[in-house]
Amino acid sequence: MPPEIQPPPLIPHVEFKATLLLVLTLALIAGFITYVMYARGAFEKTQRLVLVAEDSEGAKVGMDLTFSGFPIGRVQRIELAEDGKARILVDVPEKAARWLRISTVFTMERGIVGDTRIRAFTGVLDDPPLPDGAIRPVLRGDASAEIPRLIATMRTLLENLERMTGADSSLSNSLANVKTVTERMKSRYGALAAMLGSEANAQKVIGSIDRANALLASVSGLSLKVDNLLSKTDARVFGSAGVMDETQKAMAQLNAVLGDARESLKKADAVLAEAQAIGANTRTATADLAALRAEVEASLRKVAHLVEEVNRKWPFARDTKLKLP
Amino acid sequence: MRQASSLHHHVLRAPGEAASAFTGWSISWWRVFHFGALALVMALSPRTYDRENRAVTAKQIYFTAWQVLPWFTLLAALLSTVLIRIVVATAAGYGLLQYAPELVVRVLVLELIPLFAALFVALRSGAAINTEVALMHIRGDFDAMQRAGGDPLRRELVPRVIGSAVSVLALATVSGMIALVIGYIGVYGFSPWGFDAYTRTVGLVFDLEASLGLALKMLLFGAAVAVIPIAASLEMPREMRLAPVAVLRGMVRLFLVLVLLEGASLALTYQI
Repeated sequence: MPPEIQPPPLIPHVEFKATLLLVLTLALIAGFITYVMYARGAFEKTQRLVLVAEDSEGAKVGMDLTFSGFPIGRVQRIELAEDGKARILVDVPEKAARWLRISTVFTMERGIVGDTRIRAFTGVLDDPPLPDGAIRPVLRGDASAEIPRLIATMRTLLENLERMTGADSSLSNSLANVKTVTERMKSRYGALAAMLGSEANAQKVIGSIDRANALLASVSGLSLKVDNLLSKTDARVFGSAGVMDETQKAMAQLNAVLGDARESLKKADAVLAEAQAIGANTRTATADLAALRAEVEASLRKVAHLVEEVNRKWPFARDTKLKLP
Repeated sequence: MRQASSLHHHVLRAPGEAASAFTGWSISWWRVFHFGALALVMALSPRTYDRENRAVTAKQIYFTAWQVLPWFTLLAALLSTVLIRIVVATAAGYGLLQYAPELVVRVLVLELIPLFAALFVALRSGAAINTEVALMHIRGDFDAMQRAGGDPLRRELVPRVIGSAVSVLALATVSGMIALVIGYIGVYGFSPWGFDAYTRTVGLVFDLEASLGLALKMLLFGAAVAVIPIAASLEMPREMRLAPVAVLRGMVRLFLVLVLLEGASLALTYQI
Protein backbone atom coordinates (compact mmCIF):
# COMPACT_ATOMS: atom_id res chain seq x y z
CA MET A 1 0.00 0.00 0.00
CA PRO A 2 1.47 3.34 -0.97
CA PRO A 3 1.98 5.60 1.97
CA GLU A 4 -0.78 8.19 1.70
CA ILE A 5 0.14 11.76 2.37
CA GLN A 6 -1.74 12.44 5.52
CA PRO A 7 -4.28 15.14 4.86
CA PRO A 8 -3.96 17.96 7.35
CA PRO A 9 -6.67 18.40 9.93
CA LEU A 10 -9.93 19.44 8.45
CA ILE A 11 -9.83 22.94 7.05
CA PRO A 12 -13.25 24.54 6.96
CA HIS A 13 -14.35 25.88 3.57
CA VAL A 14 -10.99 25.36 1.93
CA GLU A 15 -12.36 25.54 -1.57
CA PHE A 16 -14.34 28.64 -0.76
CA LYS A 17 -11.26 30.32 0.68
CA ALA A 18 -9.16 29.39 -2.32
CA THR A 19 -11.85 30.71 -4.67
CA LEU A 20 -12.19 33.85 -2.59
CA LEU A 21 -8.48 34.45 -2.78
CA LEU A 22 -8.48 33.93 -6.52
CA VAL A 23 -11.47 36.20 -7.00
CA LEU A 24 -9.92 38.85 -4.75
CA THR A 25 -6.68 38.72 -6.69
CA LEU A 26 -8.40 38.87 -10.05
CA ALA A 27 -10.68 41.69 -8.87
CA LEU A 28 -7.64 43.64 -7.65
CA ILE A 29 -5.89 43.11 -10.95
CA ALA A 30 -8.97 44.12 -12.92
CA GLY A 31 -9.48 47.15 -10.71
CA PHE A 32 -5.88 48.16 -11.09
CA ILE A 33 -6.02 47.82 -14.86
CA THR A 34 -9.16 50.00 -14.91
CA TYR A 35 -7.46 52.55 -12.67
CA VAL A 36 -4.37 52.65 -14.87
CA MET A 37 -6.53 53.04 -17.97
CA TYR A 38 -8.37 55.88 -16.25
CA ALA A 39 -5.05 57.38 -15.21
CA ARG A 40 -3.82 57.19 -18.77
CA GLY A 41 -6.94 58.98 -19.98
CA ALA A 42 -8.50 56.03 -21.77
CA PHE A 43 -12.01 57.09 -20.77
CA GLU A 44 -11.64 60.76 -21.63
CA LYS A 45 -12.45 62.46 -24.89
CA THR A 46 -9.38 64.31 -26.01
CA GLN A 47 -8.48 66.78 -28.67
CA ARG A 48 -5.22 66.84 -30.54
CA LEU A 49 -2.71 69.64 -30.44
CA VAL A 50 0.42 69.62 -32.58
CA LEU A 51 3.42 71.55 -31.32
CA VAL A 52 6.17 72.23 -33.81
CA ALA A 53 9.66 72.58 -32.34
CA GLU A 54 13.07 73.14 -33.86
CA ASP A 55 14.47 70.43 -31.68
CA SER A 56 12.63 67.73 -29.78
CA GLU A 57 15.50 67.04 -27.42
CA GLY A 58 14.22 66.42 -23.90
CA ALA A 59 10.64 65.88 -24.98
CA LYS A 60 9.38 62.38 -24.41
CA VAL A 61 6.18 60.47 -24.81
CA GLY A 62 3.98 60.67 -21.74
CA MET A 63 5.28 63.99 -20.47
CA ASP A 64 2.80 66.62 -19.37
CA LEU A 65 1.70 69.87 -20.95
CA THR A 66 1.15 72.19 -18.03
CA PHE A 67 -0.86 75.34 -17.62
CA SER A 68 -0.27 77.40 -14.47
CA GLY A 69 1.56 74.39 -13.06
CA PHE A 70 -1.35 71.99 -13.64
CA PRO A 71 -1.03 69.18 -16.14
CA ILE A 72 -3.66 69.63 -18.84
CA GLY A 73 -2.36 67.36 -21.56
CA ARG A 74 0.02 64.59 -22.36
CA VAL A 75 2.50 64.04 -25.15
CA GLN A 76 1.27 61.13 -27.21
CA ARG A 77 3.78 60.95 -29.99
CA ILE A 78 6.88 62.76 -31.26
CA GLU A 79 7.70 62.60 -34.93
CA LEU A 80 10.03 64.20 -37.45
CA ALA A 81 8.11 66.22 -40.01
CA GLU A 82 8.92 66.54 -43.71
CA ASP A 83 10.50 69.95 -43.17
CA GLY A 84 12.93 68.58 -40.59
CA LYS A 85 11.15 70.02 -37.59
CA ALA A 86 9.93 67.99 -34.65
CA ARG A 87 6.19 67.54 -34.30
CA ILE A 88 5.04 66.89 -30.75
CA LEU A 89 1.52 65.47 -30.70
CA VAL A 90 -0.27 66.31 -27.46
CA ASP A 91 -3.63 64.95 -26.34
CA VAL A 92 -5.62 67.42 -24.31
CA PRO A 93 -8.75 66.20 -22.50
CA GLU A 94 -11.75 68.20 -23.62
CA LYS A 95 -12.48 69.48 -20.15
CA ALA A 96 -8.99 70.94 -19.92
CA ALA A 97 -9.01 72.29 -23.47
CA ARG A 98 -10.82 75.44 -22.35
CA TRP A 99 -7.53 76.79 -21.05
CA LEU A 100 -6.10 76.77 -24.53
CA ARG A 101 -7.08 79.70 -26.72
CA ILE A 102 -5.95 80.78 -30.15
CA SER A 103 -3.58 83.29 -28.56
CA THR A 104 -1.98 80.71 -26.26
CA VAL A 105 1.81 80.56 -26.37
CA PHE A 106 3.63 77.25 -25.85
CA THR A 107 7.14 76.96 -24.49
CA MET A 108 9.46 74.06 -23.93
CA GLU A 109 11.96 74.68 -21.17
CA ARG A 110 14.83 72.62 -20.01
CA GLY A 111 15.94 73.12 -16.43
CA ILE A 112 19.35 72.25 -15.07
CA VAL A 113 17.77 69.66 -12.78
CA GLY A 114 14.76 67.63 -13.79
CA ASP A 115 12.74 67.11 -16.88
CA THR A 116 12.00 69.26 -19.83
CA ARG A 117 8.63 70.93 -19.39
CA ILE A 118 6.13 71.99 -21.99
CA ARG A 119 4.04 74.88 -20.78
CA ALA A 120 1.10 76.82 -22.11
CA PHE A 121 0.53 80.50 -21.39
CA THR A 122 -2.85 82.00 -22.15
CA GLY A 123 -2.96 85.74 -21.72
CA VAL A 124 -6.51 86.39 -22.90
CA LEU A 125 -8.97 83.77 -21.73
CA ASP A 126 -11.78 85.37 -23.72
CA ASP A 127 -10.23 84.55 -27.08
CA PRO A 128 -11.84 81.83 -29.21
CA PRO A 129 -10.85 78.32 -28.08
CA LEU A 130 -8.09 76.43 -29.82
CA PRO A 131 -9.57 74.12 -32.46
CA ASP A 132 -8.93 70.38 -32.53
CA GLY A 133 -5.80 69.48 -34.44
CA ALA A 134 -4.32 72.98 -34.16
CA ILE A 135 -0.66 73.34 -35.09
CA ARG A 136 1.33 75.75 -32.99
CA PRO A 137 5.03 76.60 -32.76
CA VAL A 138 6.72 75.96 -29.45
CA LEU A 139 9.39 78.29 -28.11
CA ARG A 140 12.47 76.74 -26.57
CA GLY A 141 14.36 77.88 -23.53
CA ASP A 142 17.32 75.85 -22.49
CA ALA A 143 19.01 76.71 -19.23
CA SER A 144 21.77 74.17 -19.66
CA ALA A 145 22.66 75.44 -23.13
CA GLU A 146 23.53 78.77 -21.51
CA ILE A 147 26.01 77.19 -19.13
CA PRO A 148 28.98 76.72 -21.50
CA ARG A 149 28.67 80.32 -22.69
CA LEU A 150 28.39 81.50 -19.10
CA ILE A 151 31.45 79.53 -18.09
CA ALA A 152 33.46 80.90 -21.03
CA THR A 153 32.54 84.45 -20.08
CA MET A 154 33.29 83.76 -16.47
CA ARG A 155 36.69 82.34 -17.31
CA THR A 156 37.63 85.46 -19.28
CA LEU A 157 36.42 87.56 -16.39
CA LEU A 158 38.44 85.57 -13.91
CA GLU A 159 41.55 85.78 -16.10
CA ASN A 160 41.18 89.53 -16.31
CA LEU A 161 40.70 89.69 -12.60
CA GLU A 162 43.75 87.56 -12.05
CA ARG A 163 45.82 89.75 -14.33
CA MET A 164 44.57 92.82 -12.54
CA THR A 165 45.40 91.47 -9.12
CA GLY A 166 48.80 89.95 -9.99
CA ALA A 167 51.94 91.02 -8.08
CA ASP A 168 53.29 93.18 -10.95
CA SER A 169 49.92 94.31 -12.28
CA SER A 170 49.17 97.96 -12.77
CA LEU A 171 46.47 97.77 -10.12
CA SER A 172 48.93 96.52 -7.57
CA ASN A 173 51.45 99.21 -8.62
CA SER A 174 48.76 101.83 -8.28
CA LEU A 175 47.92 100.54 -4.86
CA ALA A 176 51.59 100.74 -3.89
CA ASN A 177 51.68 104.34 -5.13
CA VAL A 178 48.54 105.12 -3.20
CA LYS A 179 50.19 103.69 -0.15
CA THR A 180 53.24 105.97 -0.62
CA VAL A 181 50.95 108.95 -1.12
CA THR A 182 48.87 108.19 1.94
CA GLU A 183 52.03 107.75 3.98
CA ARG A 184 53.18 111.19 2.90
CA MET A 185 49.76 112.55 3.68
CA LYS A 186 50.24 111.41 7.24
CA SER A 187 53.33 113.71 7.55
CA ARG A 188 53.39 117.34 8.79
CA TYR A 189 52.34 118.95 5.52
CA GLY A 190 49.68 116.29 4.73
CA ALA A 191 48.18 116.14 1.26
CA LEU A 192 50.42 118.98 0.05
CA ALA A 193 53.54 116.98 0.75
CA ALA A 194 51.92 114.00 -0.94
CA MET A 195 51.21 116.06 -4.02
CA LEU A 196 54.58 117.73 -4.25
CA GLY A 197 56.66 114.73 -3.39
CA SER A 198 58.52 116.05 -0.35
CA GLU A 199 58.17 118.26 2.72
CA ALA A 200 60.72 120.78 1.48
CA ASN A 201 58.65 121.48 -1.60
CA ALA A 202 55.54 121.78 0.50
CA GLN A 203 57.33 124.30 2.69
CA LYS A 204 58.22 126.38 -0.35
CA VAL A 205 54.67 126.36 -1.56
CA ILE A 206 53.43 127.46 1.81
CA GLY A 207 55.99 130.27 1.80
CA SER A 208 54.79 131.36 -1.64
CA ILE A 209 51.24 131.32 -0.50
CA ASP A 210 52.13 133.52 2.44
CA ARG A 211 53.84 136.03 0.17
CA ALA A 212 50.94 135.92 -2.25
CA ASN A 213 48.66 136.71 0.67
CA ALA A 214 50.73 139.76 1.58
CA LEU A 215 50.75 140.91 -2.05
CA LEU A 216 47.00 140.46 -2.26
CA ALA A 217 46.56 142.61 0.82
CA SER A 218 48.48 145.54 -0.81
CA VAL A 219 46.64 144.99 -4.12
CA SER A 220 43.43 145.23 -2.20
CA GLY A 221 44.47 148.66 -0.83
CA LEU A 222 45.42 149.80 -4.31
CA SER A 223 42.21 148.63 -5.84
CA LEU A 224 40.30 150.63 -3.26
CA LYS A 225 42.02 153.81 -4.47
CA VAL A 226 41.41 152.90 -8.10
CA ASP A 227 37.80 152.40 -7.20
CA ASN A 228 37.51 155.93 -5.86
CA LEU A 229 39.15 157.35 -8.94
CA LEU A 230 36.83 155.42 -11.19
CA SER A 231 33.72 156.58 -9.40
CA LYS A 232 34.84 160.18 -9.74
CA THR A 233 35.57 159.75 -13.43
CA ASP A 234 32.22 158.15 -13.88
CA ALA A 235 30.44 161.09 -12.27
CA ARG A 236 32.46 163.54 -14.39
CA VAL A 237 31.95 161.81 -17.73
CA PHE A 238 28.63 160.05 -17.47
CA GLY A 239 26.84 162.03 -14.73
CA SER A 240 24.13 164.62 -15.49
CA ALA A 241 25.75 167.62 -17.24
CA GLY A 242 28.86 165.51 -17.70
CA VAL A 243 30.96 165.35 -20.84
CA MET A 244 28.93 162.60 -22.38
CA ASP A 245 25.66 164.37 -21.75
CA GLU A 246 26.78 167.52 -23.51
CA THR A 247 28.11 165.57 -26.45
CA GLN A 248 24.82 163.78 -26.79
CA LYS A 249 22.91 167.08 -26.92
CA ALA A 250 25.27 168.51 -29.53
CA MET A 251 24.88 165.43 -31.66
CA ALA A 252 21.08 165.59 -31.42
CA GLN A 253 21.23 169.19 -32.68
CA LEU A 254 23.54 168.19 -35.50
CA ASN A 255 21.14 165.42 -36.41
CA ALA A 256 18.24 167.89 -36.56
CA VAL A 257 20.23 170.27 -38.78
CA LEU A 258 21.16 167.49 -41.13
CA GLY A 259 17.50 166.36 -41.25
CA ASP A 260 16.47 169.90 -42.27
CA ALA A 261 19.10 169.95 -44.99
CA ARG A 262 17.75 166.66 -46.30
CA GLU A 263 14.22 168.04 -46.37
CA SER A 264 15.27 171.15 -48.41
CA LEU A 265 17.24 168.98 -50.79
CA LYS A 266 14.16 166.78 -51.23
CA LYS A 267 12.16 169.86 -52.19
CA ALA A 268 14.86 170.92 -54.68
CA ASP A 269 14.76 167.42 -56.10
CA ALA A 270 10.98 167.61 -56.51
CA VAL A 271 11.32 171.02 -58.32
CA LEU A 272 13.96 169.59 -60.60
CA ALA A 273 11.79 166.57 -61.39
CA GLU A 274 8.98 168.91 -62.38
CA ALA A 275 11.36 170.96 -64.49
CA GLN A 276 12.52 167.76 -66.16
CA ALA A 277 8.90 166.83 -66.94
CA ILE A 278 8.19 170.33 -68.35
CA GLY A 279 11.25 170.42 -70.51
CA ALA A 280 10.79 166.92 -71.91
CA ASN A 281 10.41 168.29 -75.49
CA THR A 282 13.94 169.66 -75.75
CA ARG A 283 16.46 166.83 -75.60
CA THR A 284 19.58 168.88 -74.84
CA ALA A 285 18.01 170.87 -72.06
CA THR A 286 16.83 167.68 -70.54
CA ALA A 287 20.32 166.20 -70.73
CA ASP A 288 21.74 169.20 -68.91
CA LEU A 289 19.02 169.03 -66.35
CA ALA A 290 19.60 165.32 -65.92
CA ALA A 291 23.31 165.95 -65.25
CA LEU A 292 22.37 168.66 -62.75
CA ARG A 293 19.94 166.32 -61.03
CA ALA A 294 22.53 163.59 -60.84
CA GLU A 295 24.85 166.06 -59.13
CA VAL A 296 22.14 167.09 -56.65
CA GLU A 297 21.37 163.43 -56.02
CA ALA A 298 25.04 162.69 -55.41
CA SER A 299 25.29 165.45 -52.83
CA LEU A 300 22.01 164.30 -51.29
CA ARG A 301 23.44 160.79 -51.01
CA LYS A 302 26.56 162.19 -49.38
CA VAL A 303 24.47 164.05 -46.80
CA ALA A 304 22.36 160.93 -46.18
CA HIS A 305 25.56 158.95 -45.81
CA LEU A 306 26.86 161.50 -43.34
CA VAL A 307 23.61 161.28 -41.33
CA GLU A 308 23.84 157.55 -41.34
CA GLU A 309 27.46 157.67 -40.25
CA VAL A 310 26.62 159.98 -37.37
CA ASN A 311 23.75 157.79 -36.34
CA ARG A 312 25.88 154.69 -36.44
CA LYS A 313 28.60 156.23 -34.35
CA TRP A 314 26.22 157.95 -31.96
CA PRO A 315 23.17 155.83 -31.99
CA PHE A 316 20.78 158.25 -30.31
CA ALA A 317 18.41 158.87 -33.18
CA ARG A 318 14.99 157.35 -32.86
CA ASP A 319 14.55 156.96 -36.60
CA THR A 320 17.55 155.30 -38.22
CA LYS A 321 15.85 154.64 -41.53
CA LEU A 322 16.99 156.58 -44.49
CA LYS A 323 14.49 157.32 -47.20
CA LEU A 324 15.81 158.01 -50.60
CA PRO A 325 13.63 159.61 -53.14
CA MET B 1 57.48 10.27 -15.39
CA ARG B 2 54.36 8.81 -13.88
CA GLN B 3 53.49 12.25 -12.50
CA ALA B 4 53.90 13.81 -15.89
CA SER B 5 51.71 11.24 -17.54
CA SER B 6 49.04 11.71 -14.87
CA LEU B 7 49.16 15.46 -15.41
CA HIS B 8 48.88 14.85 -19.11
CA HIS B 9 45.95 12.59 -18.41
CA HIS B 10 44.29 15.33 -16.31
CA VAL B 11 44.78 17.95 -18.98
CA LEU B 12 43.29 15.64 -21.54
CA ARG B 13 40.41 14.74 -19.29
CA ALA B 14 39.48 18.29 -18.28
CA PRO B 15 37.75 19.30 -21.52
CA GLY B 16 35.89 16.05 -21.56
CA GLU B 17 34.70 16.69 -18.02
CA ALA B 18 33.67 20.21 -18.84
CA ALA B 19 31.75 18.95 -21.83
CA SER B 20 29.93 16.31 -19.83
CA ALA B 21 29.21 18.85 -17.05
CA PHE B 22 27.77 21.19 -19.64
CA THR B 23 25.66 18.39 -21.10
CA GLY B 24 24.39 17.48 -17.65
CA TRP B 25 23.61 21.10 -16.95
CA SER B 26 21.74 21.45 -20.23
CA ILE B 27 19.76 18.27 -19.65
CA SER B 28 18.88 19.42 -16.17
CA TRP B 29 17.58 22.74 -17.46
CA TRP B 30 15.76 20.98 -20.25
CA ARG B 31 13.96 18.92 -17.62
CA VAL B 32 13.01 22.07 -15.78
CA PHE B 33 11.50 23.62 -18.90
CA HIS B 34 9.87 20.37 -19.91
CA PHE B 35 8.25 19.97 -16.54
CA GLY B 36 7.24 23.61 -16.57
CA ALA B 37 5.59 23.29 -19.96
CA LEU B 38 3.83 20.12 -18.90
CA ALA B 39 2.56 21.71 -15.71
CA LEU B 40 1.43 24.81 -17.59
CA VAL B 41 -0.51 22.82 -20.14
CA MET B 42 -2.10 20.78 -17.43
CA ALA B 43 -2.92 23.80 -15.32
CA LEU B 44 -4.64 25.41 -18.28
CA SER B 45 -6.60 22.34 -19.23
CA PRO B 46 -10.08 22.30 -17.67
CA ARG B 47 -9.99 18.50 -17.40
CA THR B 48 -7.36 18.84 -14.69
CA TYR B 49 -9.90 20.32 -12.35
CA ASP B 50 -12.07 17.38 -11.51
CA ARG B 51 -13.69 17.30 -8.14
CA GLU B 52 -10.87 15.62 -6.30
CA ASN B 53 -8.18 17.69 -7.93
CA ARG B 54 -10.06 20.90 -7.18
CA ALA B 55 -9.96 20.00 -3.52
CA VAL B 56 -6.23 19.33 -3.65
CA THR B 57 -5.55 22.54 -5.57
CA ALA B 58 -7.70 24.50 -3.15
CA LYS B 59 -5.74 23.03 -0.28
CA GLN B 60 -2.45 24.01 -1.90
CA ILE B 61 -3.69 27.54 -2.51
CA TYR B 62 -4.89 27.64 1.07
CA PHE B 63 -1.49 26.59 2.40
CA THR B 64 0.77 28.61 0.18
CA ALA B 65 -1.29 31.76 -0.28
CA TRP B 66 -4.19 32.13 2.15
CA GLN B 67 -2.28 31.27 5.28
CA VAL B 68 0.57 33.68 4.64
CA LEU B 69 -1.38 36.49 3.09
CA PRO B 70 -2.05 38.51 6.29
CA TRP B 71 1.47 38.17 7.58
CA PHE B 72 3.06 38.83 4.28
CA THR B 73 0.84 41.84 3.65
CA LEU B 74 1.75 43.25 7.04
CA LEU B 75 5.44 42.71 6.37
CA ALA B 76 5.23 44.23 2.91
CA ALA B 77 3.32 47.22 4.29
CA LEU B 78 6.00 47.75 6.90
CA LEU B 79 8.77 47.51 4.33
CA SER B 80 6.87 49.84 2.00
CA THR B 81 6.35 52.38 4.76
CA VAL B 82 10.03 52.41 5.63
CA LEU B 83 11.13 52.70 2.02
CA ILE B 84 8.58 55.37 1.20
CA ARG B 85 9.64 57.37 4.26
CA ILE B 86 13.26 57.18 3.14
CA VAL B 87 12.44 58.15 -0.45
CA VAL B 88 10.14 61.02 0.54
CA ALA B 89 12.51 62.39 3.16
CA THR B 90 15.48 62.21 0.81
CA ALA B 91 13.56 63.73 -2.07
CA ALA B 92 12.32 66.52 0.19
CA GLY B 93 15.88 67.08 1.40
CA TYR B 94 17.04 67.62 -2.17
CA GLY B 95 13.96 69.67 -3.02
CA LEU B 96 12.78 67.05 -5.51
CA LEU B 97 9.57 66.05 -3.77
CA GLN B 98 7.68 66.17 -7.04
CA TYR B 99 9.61 63.12 -8.20
CA ALA B 100 8.95 61.12 -5.04
CA PRO B 101 5.61 59.54 -6.13
CA GLU B 102 7.05 58.27 -9.38
CA LEU B 103 10.07 56.87 -7.60
CA VAL B 104 7.89 55.18 -4.99
CA VAL B 105 5.60 53.60 -7.57
CA ARG B 106 8.45 52.47 -9.77
CA VAL B 107 10.69 51.06 -7.09
CA LEU B 108 8.04 49.43 -4.95
CA VAL B 109 5.19 48.31 -7.16
CA LEU B 110 7.14 47.53 -10.28
CA GLU B 111 10.31 46.05 -8.86
CA LEU B 112 10.65 45.34 -5.18
CA ILE B 113 7.28 43.92 -4.19
CA PRO B 114 7.02 41.24 -6.91
CA LEU B 115 10.58 40.13 -6.14
CA PHE B 116 9.88 40.22 -2.43
CA ALA B 117 6.71 38.13 -2.88
CA ALA B 118 8.52 35.58 -5.03
CA LEU B 119 11.38 35.28 -2.55
CA PHE B 120 8.94 34.95 0.32
CA VAL B 121 6.95 32.18 -1.37
CA ALA B 122 10.19 30.46 -2.36
CA LEU B 123 11.43 30.58 1.21
CA ARG B 124 8.20 29.50 2.86
CA SER B 125 6.55 27.13 0.37
CA GLY B 126 9.22 26.46 -2.23
CA ALA B 127 11.63 24.89 0.25
CA ALA B 128 8.82 22.88 1.84
CA ILE B 129 7.52 21.64 -1.50
CA ASN B 130 11.05 20.86 -2.62
CA THR B 131 11.64 18.67 0.44
CA GLU B 132 8.24 17.05 0.31
CA VAL B 133 8.46 16.15 -3.38
CA ALA B 134 12.07 14.94 -2.97
CA LEU B 135 11.01 12.63 -0.14
CA MET B 136 7.99 11.36 -2.07
CA HIS B 137 10.20 10.75 -5.09
CA ILE B 138 12.82 8.89 -3.06
CA ARG B 139 10.22 6.80 -1.24
CA GLY B 140 8.68 5.83 -4.60
CA ASP B 141 5.26 7.31 -3.86
CA PHE B 142 4.85 8.50 -7.43
CA ASP B 143 5.64 5.08 -8.90
CA ALA B 144 3.22 3.47 -6.52
CA MET B 145 0.54 5.97 -7.44
CA GLN B 146 1.16 5.35 -11.12
CA ARG B 147 0.87 1.59 -10.56
CA ALA B 148 -2.41 2.17 -8.77
CA GLY B 149 -3.71 3.97 -11.85
CA GLY B 150 -3.31 7.52 -10.59
CA ASP B 151 -1.47 10.35 -12.29
CA PRO B 152 1.06 11.78 -9.86
CA LEU B 153 1.70 14.79 -12.08
CA ARG B 154 -1.91 15.79 -12.13
CA ARG B 155 -2.78 14.72 -8.61
CA GLU B 156 0.25 15.84 -6.62
CA LEU B 157 2.50 18.12 -8.62
CA VAL B 158 0.28 20.40 -10.69
CA PRO B 159 -1.79 21.49 -7.65
CA ARG B 160 1.46 22.51 -5.96
CA VAL B 161 2.58 24.42 -9.03
CA ILE B 162 -0.76 26.20 -9.20
CA GLY B 163 -0.67 26.89 -5.47
CA SER B 164 2.78 28.48 -5.66
CA ALA B 165 2.04 30.51 -8.78
CA VAL B 166 -1.27 31.79 -7.39
CA SER B 167 0.49 32.57 -4.14
CA VAL B 168 3.12 34.72 -5.83
CA LEU B 169 0.49 36.48 -7.90
CA ALA B 170 -1.87 37.08 -4.97
CA LEU B 171 0.81 38.25 -2.56
CA ALA B 172 2.39 40.55 -5.12
CA THR B 173 -0.97 41.99 -6.17
CA VAL B 174 -2.33 42.61 -2.68
CA SER B 175 0.94 44.03 -1.40
CA GLY B 176 1.39 46.10 -4.53
CA MET B 177 -2.01 47.71 -4.07
CA ILE B 178 -1.29 48.35 -0.40
CA ALA B 179 2.06 49.85 -1.33
CA LEU B 180 0.27 52.17 -3.78
CA VAL B 181 -2.04 53.35 -1.00
CA ILE B 182 0.83 53.74 1.47
CA GLY B 183 2.77 55.59 -1.18
CA TYR B 184 -0.08 58.06 -1.60
CA ILE B 185 -0.33 58.59 2.14
CA GLY B 186 3.43 58.86 2.48
CA VAL B 187 3.65 61.60 -0.14
CA TYR B 188 0.37 63.51 0.25
CA GLY B 189 -0.76 62.52 3.76
CA PHE B 190 -4.46 61.92 4.25
CA SER B 191 -5.52 64.81 2.03
CA PRO B 192 -7.67 63.81 -0.94
CA TRP B 193 -6.26 66.58 -3.12
CA GLY B 194 -3.25 64.69 -4.28
CA PHE B 195 -5.40 62.08 -5.99
CA ASP B 196 -5.32 63.63 -9.45
CA ALA B 197 -1.57 64.16 -9.43
CA TYR B 198 -0.97 60.68 -8.04
CA THR B 199 -3.26 59.14 -10.63
CA ARG B 200 -1.31 60.94 -13.33
CA THR B 201 1.94 59.61 -11.93
CA VAL B 202 0.56 56.07 -11.87
CA GLY B 203 -0.63 56.52 -15.43
CA LEU B 204 2.80 57.79 -16.40
CA VAL B 205 4.63 54.85 -14.81
CA PHE B 206 2.27 52.12 -16.00
CA ASP B 207 2.49 52.63 -19.70
CA LEU B 208 1.73 49.65 -21.90
CA GLU B 209 5.25 48.24 -21.86
CA ALA B 210 5.68 48.57 -18.11
CA SER B 211 2.28 46.97 -17.44
CA LEU B 212 2.88 44.05 -19.78
CA GLY B 213 6.40 43.69 -18.41
CA LEU B 214 5.08 43.58 -14.85
CA ALA B 215 2.44 40.98 -15.75
CA LEU B 216 4.99 38.84 -17.54
CA LYS B 217 7.46 39.16 -14.73
CA MET B 218 4.91 38.10 -12.11
CA LEU B 219 3.88 35.09 -14.19
CA LEU B 220 7.51 34.08 -14.68
CA PHE B 221 8.24 34.54 -10.97
CA GLY B 222 5.25 32.39 -10.10
CA ALA B 223 6.23 29.72 -12.58
CA ALA B 224 9.85 29.70 -11.41
CA VAL B 225 8.92 29.44 -7.75
CA ALA B 226 6.53 26.58 -8.52
CA VAL B 227 8.45 24.61 -11.10
CA ILE B 228 12.15 24.78 -10.26
CA PRO B 229 12.06 23.16 -6.79
CA ILE B 230 9.82 20.32 -8.01
CA ALA B 231 11.95 19.73 -11.09
CA ALA B 232 15.09 19.67 -8.94
CA SER B 233 13.51 17.11 -6.62
CA LEU B 234 12.39 14.84 -9.43
CA GLU B 235 15.74 14.62 -11.22
CA MET B 236 17.67 13.38 -8.18
CA PRO B 237 18.66 9.71 -7.95
CA ARG B 238 16.38 7.96 -5.50
CA GLU B 239 18.75 7.86 -2.54
CA MET B 240 17.81 9.22 0.85
CA ARG B 241 21.23 10.85 1.41
CA LEU B 242 20.72 12.96 -1.68
CA ALA B 243 17.49 14.54 -0.42
CA PRO B 244 19.29 17.58 1.10
CA VAL B 245 21.24 18.00 -2.14
CA ALA B 246 17.97 18.10 -4.08
CA VAL B 247 16.61 20.82 -1.81
CA LEU B 248 19.86 22.79 -1.93
CA ARG B 249 20.11 22.55 -5.70
CA GLY B 250 16.48 23.48 -6.19
CA MET B 251 16.66 26.54 -3.94
CA VAL B 252 19.96 27.82 -5.33
CA ARG B 253 18.69 27.43 -8.86
CA LEU B 254 15.46 29.19 -7.94
CA PHE B 255 17.28 32.17 -6.45
CA LEU B 256 19.53 32.36 -9.46
CA VAL B 257 16.53 32.37 -11.79
CA LEU B 258 14.69 34.99 -9.75
CA VAL B 259 17.72 37.29 -9.75
CA LEU B 260 18.26 36.77 -13.47
CA LEU B 261 14.61 37.49 -14.21
CA GLU B 262 14.71 40.66 -12.16
CA GLY B 263 17.96 41.71 -13.81
CA ALA B 264 16.56 41.07 -17.26
CA SER B 265 13.40 42.98 -16.43
CA LEU B 266 15.43 45.97 -15.19
CA ALA B 267 17.68 45.84 -18.21
CA LEU B 268 14.71 45.81 -20.55
CA THR B 269 12.79 48.51 -18.72
CA TYR B 270 15.67 50.94 -18.36
CA GLN B 271 17.62 49.94 -21.49
CA ILE B 272 20.94 49.46 -19.74
